[in-house]
Amino acid sequence: MNTPKITVRDLKLWYGDNEALHGIDVDFAEKQVTALIGPSGCGKSTLLRCMNRMNDRIPGCRIEGHILLDGDDIYAPEVDVVQLRTHVGMVFQKPNPFPKSIYENVAYAPRIHGLAENSSDMDIIVETALRKASIWNEVKDKLNAPGTALSGGQQQRLCIARTIAVKPNIILMDEPCSALDPIATAKIEELIDELKEEFTIIMVTHSMQQAARISDHTAFFYMGDIIEFGETGTIFTQPAIQQTEDYITGRFG
Amino acid sequence: MSLQINANMKRRYAAEKRFKAYAITALALAGAFLIFFFSDMISKGLPALQQAEILVDVHYNDTSMKSYRKAVDKPFRIIVSRGWLRTLPLHMEDHPELMGTTKSQWVIANADVDQYLKEKPHRLKKKYQKQIDHLYSEGKVRLAFNTGFFTRGDSKMPELAGIKSAVIGSIYVLLLTIAFALPIGVMTAVYLEEFAPDNRLTQTIEVNINNLAAIPSILFGLLGLAIFINFFGAPRSSALAGGLTLALMTLPIIIITTRASLKAIPDSIREAAFGLGASRWQTVWHHVLPLAMPGILTGSIIGLAQAMGETAPLLIVGMMAYVPDAPGSMLDAATVLPAQIYTWAGESIRAYEERTAAAILVLLTVLLSLNGLAVYLRKHFEKRW
Repeated sequence: MNTPKITVRDLKLWYGDNEALHGIDVDFAEKQVTALIGPSGCGKSTLLRCMNRMNDRIPGCRIEGHILLDGDDIYAPEVDVVQLRTHVGMVFQKPNPFPKSIYENVAYAPRIHGLAENSSDMDIIVETALRKASIWNEVKDKLNAPGTALSGGQQQRLCIARTIAVKPNIILMDEPCSALDPIATAKIEELIDELKEEFTIIMVTHSMQQAARISDHTAFFYMGDIIEFGETGTIFTQPAIQQTEDYITGRFG
Repeated sequence: MSLQINANMKRRYAAEKRFKAYAITALALAGAFLIFFFSDMISKGLPALQQAEILVDVHYNDTSMKSYRKAVDKPFRIIVSRGWLRTLPLHMEDHPELMGTTKSQWVIANADVDQYLKEKPHRLKKKYQKQIDHLYSEGKVRLAFNTGFFTRGDSKMPELAGIKSAVIGSIYVLLLTIAFALPIGVMTAVYLEEFAPDNRLTQTIEVNINNLAAIPSILFGLLGLAIFINFFGAPRSSALAGGLTLALMTLPIIIITTRASLKAIPDSIREAAFGLGASRWQTVWHHVLPLAMPGILTGSIIGLAQAMGETAPLLIVGMMAYVPDAPGSMLDAATVLPAQIYTWAGESIRAYEERTAAAILVLLTVLLSLNGLAVYLRKHFEKRW
């Protein structure tokens, strides 16, 4: 593994009195796809949401331990959450475009962060992001149409375009295909494969096949612990731990 | 077993039919009341839109300047509105070119003549009834559209009484209520819903706001009297005092409806904005608030419509006053439409009755249009996701 982009050390998390993560240690490699798998409620989404501090919004959520992004603790008091989220973008389970035009959806974040000097700059940013999200050809003639009028798969790619328009280093994906049909899923998977040239991608998925197809590393979660972490090929062919094998082969979960 | 189910089916259908019949009866009753109310108001109020006028020669000269009753010939002095005659000297001062002329013109008739022509109870003496009948056959008495009802203020003479000062007072009061209650209410709701932590203090505030919405409106009048008039020294019976008092009353309604419409915005929109690095303020201002706007506007308009029809708190701050001249500013003595209706309803002269009904029609029209506007805004700006 090359130098890790994100290093998680002894991360514990409580929702109120309920300990959801019991000391997670894991490294996420730069410009690779890491899949987080495991049964529902095992803490994989919770960990994902720690990495852009989305959990800050949840009342009663408390954290111990460290998450280092390029060696800097993202939970350090001097860290600006708003700035952190421009480095760590997120794509959600259910496509959630803003009820605005396709153009506005992509242009919103660059605008609030002041990334474009003028409107032709913005046009370039929007086009680049939509191209990178492989949706440009489908929407270039209707940039002023509402984003919510697109199909589910297109909406999700629009959300990805919206995220990469800010040029983050890392993209977190929380089951990005779970609300999509197989064809739309295949398109997103293809896209993820292209995006890892440029971005570090961490995704939560419930589909074992998906994890096997597109990830470079896989972490298997169970009850708030990482049971096994390693190269995807190894995890899926020769898991070291019986529990992992049971889950992967569908004996429980 | 199937027999048992069959037997039950009959009972179930019968119960369903009964329930439907109850519902339809209730609806029919409500509809009947509404129709009765409206037809009564309209039949009583519509005559007020017409006013009896008499064609007479008006003398503009020094004699009428000194004694305004002498501006018309003797037989007309009783049947012409005395209130109108009283305005002549001032009119002549404003228009000196009229001096020394005699003009034949349509002049507002006395309220009793008006009521006599409309075949309503009146106190017109037999002698004058005959005179009116005669003038009517000559075409010198007519029922014309009552523009004065909309262009004059209140008067102690029913034929001259109009709703202008009350309407202007209502507009001032409503503007003040909007100006104070809307921004404060929306901002409070946004803070409570989007920014405030969920703790004892905010819970207490929430409970209290909900309680405030249920407080009888007259208590807000007492509060307004104590705070705005006694403490801050706002002039009594001014639109300022009334508007601020109604703003207090409307505030909890606006806060509650705004919070409800903010709650209805799916959290995925907030997550999307936060995920892109929007600050809390940007998330609310750029995304949540615009989406909640139709709901906020609907709730606020209904709250304002309620405030506009409110009388009790204004009674306490002295807006139930006789205001013949339209208020020139927010600090002048003013009255509002519902207060005007209340005042006229208490008058003993019968001619006020139709004016009361007509004023109610005006108020109802305004309120119904406000509610219609609320429905329109909700339908028009509603966005789906």
